[in-house]
Amino acid sequence: MNFIEQSCLPYLRNAQNEDGGWGFMPGAGSRVEPTAWALIALHEFASASSSEKAVSNAASFLKKVQLPDGSWPAALGQHSGSWVTSLACWSLLFSRQFESSLEKGLQWLGKELPGDSLTLWKIIRKLTAGGREAIQDDSFSGWSWTPGTASWVEPTSYAIIALRKGTKSPPPKLNQRLHMAKSMLYDRMCPAGGWNCGNPMVYGVAGEPQVGPTVWALLALQEDFAKPKIQESLNWLEHNAAGLQSPGSLALTHIALHLAGRTYAAAKLLPRIYDENNEVLWNVPVAAWSALTATKHNWLSVTLPNGGTR
Amino acid sequence: MQTAATALMPSFQRAASRVAIRRVPNYQADLAAILYETISQFNLPVRGKTILLKPNLVGLDTGGIINTHPSVIAAARETFLRLGAATVLIGDGPATERDTIAVLESMKLREFVGSLSGVFVDLNLDNVEHVVLKTRASRLKELYLPKTICGVDYIVSMPKLKTHHWAGVTLSLKNMFGVVPGGCYGWPKNILHWAGIDNCVLDINATVRPDFAIIDGIVGMEGNGPIQGTPKPSGVLIVGDDPVAVDATGTRVMGLLPEKIKYLTQAATMLGHIERDKIKQLGESVESVMTPFAVLEEFRHLSHR
Repeated sequence: MNFIEQSCLPYLRNAQNEDGGWGFMPGAGSRVEPTAWALIALHEFASASSSEKAVSNAASFLKKVQLPDGSWPAALGQHSGSWVTSLACWSLLFSRQFESSLEKGLQWLGKELPGDSLTLWKIIRKLTAGGREAIQDDSFSGWSWTPGTASWVEPTSYAIIALRKGTKSPPPKLNQRLHMAKSMLYDRMCPAGGWNCGNPMVYGVAGEPQVGPTVWALLALQEDFAKPKIQESLNWLEHNAAGLQSPGSLALTHIALHLAGRTYAAAKLLPRIYDENNEVLWNVPVAAWSALTATKHNWLSVTLPNGGTR
Repeated sequence: MQTAATALMPSFQRAASRVAIRRVPNYQADLAAILYETISQFNLPVRGKTILLKPNLVGLDTGGIINTHPSVIAAARETFLRLGAATVLIGDGPATERDTIAVLESMKLREFVGSLSGVFVDLNLDNVEHVVLKTRASRLKELYLPKTICGVDYIVSMPKLKTHHWAGVTLSLKNMFGVVPGGCYGWPKNILHWAGIDNCVLDINATVRPDFAIIDGIVGMEGNGPIQGTPKPSGVLIVGDDPVAVDATGTRVMGLLPEKIKYLTQAATMLGHIERDKIKQLGESVESVMTPFAVLEEFRHLSHR
């Protein structure tokens, strides 16, 4: 706890820009993704460290940079929304401000279809070499990084988490969409468990799992933790943890394993790696995830702005 | 802005390019001495300049077979500093592994280069600026690119000698996909695949214009590259002042035909040369170091005239 309070939280508070947002590094221009992560982390410590003002300013920043269609851009100035919409929605669930912004964002997310959900794409893929380079079920789709491109594990996981409990005005067929997205995640799981960005097998060679996509997919599928396939992925994450050297992967591994009831001592390892002056090793999302290792995971089980449980 | 500095020029108007091939048996060789001796011949305008080395950091690589080897990166950095560069940065934005720190740690880059603080730039997370692309080969027209890429004086593309399961080969031009920031376009940068890999290679290189190229061919990769292929010891470093010519030479060293690589033929119309008579060959000849690379069935035509 000392490490979090003495290092991570001050790092985050000091890195907040005057516009209320955060860049990926201290001093960098504000972006949606690091702002969302900092907001979520600081909200968890709002009572202990007077972060309320920071959280409120962050929510105001997100409200200000939302695009007219309800989505959020990955970089300010971009005219179309992206995967960061899921993260912005997720973070706004905590601020209890700007409910209409949140609702607009969730509506956009529910309607946003990836390019690989289109029939024309599926036909072209069957007719070209693409059909055999990667073994996957093209009937499943989730969410893409940017509009009009393919479904990938990480943006799909973020969207499932943000939409998990539905909106107050659920977009049509949202439940079917979430079911299909979860099926996509299972389909893209690596043969020995875990996930990479979304290529479990290319030209007959099994893809190697990666920490980030594995953690996000596990969090998106957390209601399935008892299933053998998910246990396999948790086993991979646990086995892989021994060799981790980067703070981001350490923190994410800790979060997923603890949520699954397994023990992992990232909290002891993170302080040894921490160096606030090393911008290569430490950035805003990493500091936020590190702070979240010390929480009870309330941020993964959020409450509706109107008081209901999502 | 660096990305606007170099005009596009029809190939027939360009002077001959210079490419040097050096035999290097392994990564334990004195790479700094070899690179300094080789690159000094080019009289590059780098004194007092800020240089960005753009290695190919694809993913976790404990064995030194996927990414540009850290000893080559360190040797290149030392060489440009010896040549009078004011600052030599190292930067990349890995395409599929979001944890760049994990990539750097897996290949032990710090052990070769020293502290990376103030030296390494994660191009995926850098501040960005809006850039209108110089060509319209793809439908992209514009990209947000890292401020570091737009601001440095001189860019050195440093790929590994590899085959690629979608593009045929991945060398210094394809390596420039790494400058497109994941923080704007995701991991992988799927927008480039949907806009067409060959066309995006042209658009990105026409806009960013890498000035020099160093291919790590000491151990390359054949077959199902760029990640899942087989290590291919080739024992060469290939360097030059025209990335198109360097890639054409690298392709020939792999026993493949650059004239059959779509993006190379496109690049040859306005960015550089692929014809042998337009490339002044320094060091070893292509034939003396040629090591045929296995390719996937889709690319068998690359090795036949």
